[in-house]
Amino acid sequence: MPMPRTVFTIPLIPLVIVGLLLLIGIPAAWYGWREYNRTAGPTSELEATETIEAVALLQAYTADENAANARFNGKVLLVSGTVREGKAPENGLVDVVLETGDPLAGVVCQFAQADVPSALTAGAPARIKGISTGLLMDVVLQRCAIVE
Amino acid sequence: MTRNLLITAALLASLTASAQERYATRTGHISFHSDTPMEKIEAHNHKATSVFDATTGAIEMAVLMKGFEFEKALMQEHFNENYVESDKFPKATFKGKITGITAEDLKKPGSHAVTVEGDLTMHGVTKPVKATGTMGMEPTGAIRATSTFSIKPEDYNIAIPGMVRDNIAKEIAIKVEVDHTKM
Repeated sequence: MPMPRTVFTIPLIPLVIVGLLLLIGIPAAWYGWREYNRTAGPTSELEATETIEAVALLQAYTADENAANARFNGKVLLVSGTVREGKAPENGLVDVVLETGDPLAGVVCQFAQADVPSALTAGAPARIKGISTGLLMDVVLQRCAIVE
Repeated sequence: MTRNLLITAALLASLTASAQERYATRTGHISFHSDTPMEKIEAHNHKATSVFDATTGAIEMAVLMKGFEFEKALMQEHFNENYVESDKFPKATFKGKITGITAEDLKKPGSHAVTVEGDLTMHGVTKPVKATGTMGMEPTGAIRATSTFSIKPEDYNIAIPGMVRDNIAKEIAIKVEVDHTKM
């Protein structure tokens, strides 16, 4: 007499649940991991929310700092002006100061040392994209990139 | 007329400043570090301002909160939006006094142990802070001040959500390195 064959069956509902969890879980985990490890991209690839002259930017901050903070802080700005000076590299960073007409305050653009074009010398016109962090003694822009 | 007044004021200010032996910088480095078994977090800001009066020992520093840069963009966003609320409180300031050094000590190269004591204002809360550090003239002529101290986020009404509480240290180490030049 032949032995009865044992048939293993997987219930359909748990199978569907596991499938759905994998279908949703794997992309969600991948998205979470990518988002967690995301670094700030190059500013040159970001769109400027505002285009403004260096003189006008300093004036806006000194006239009403709270309003300027709300308008500019954390935003990508395209600032144009004349280079007052380029500072010596420090900690892998280089500050380029744009003229504002005020000898005690400028618009300071902080570049990664590798990103500073040699053409940014005193007196040269410049268009610089950077993220405004606010006003201390100067208006400070970080992660700057030159706009050709 | 206004221009002449401004020039006179600037001249007087510079004379007063030199009589007071003032030193300043716009490129001070402030970093903070949180180290837990779950996660290591650090952020750097190279744009702190500092003015130090060597005759009185008075020091004033300021830093823009949005100027702290993290390795990970998400951490920087959470720091600004959820923790320090930098739209509402864009600056942190410190106003205090350095003791253990004289104006004469800063005229020759060397490093001296100092104590700094004052009020740190952050996230709209002012708390007294006392720390040790070093100060002295570098071979370059810069007046270098360094200090490391710790703060508790809760002291500054910075709420850490329960979900990430184990990822963030109970005490955050703040490191200050500032090279002043004479005003």
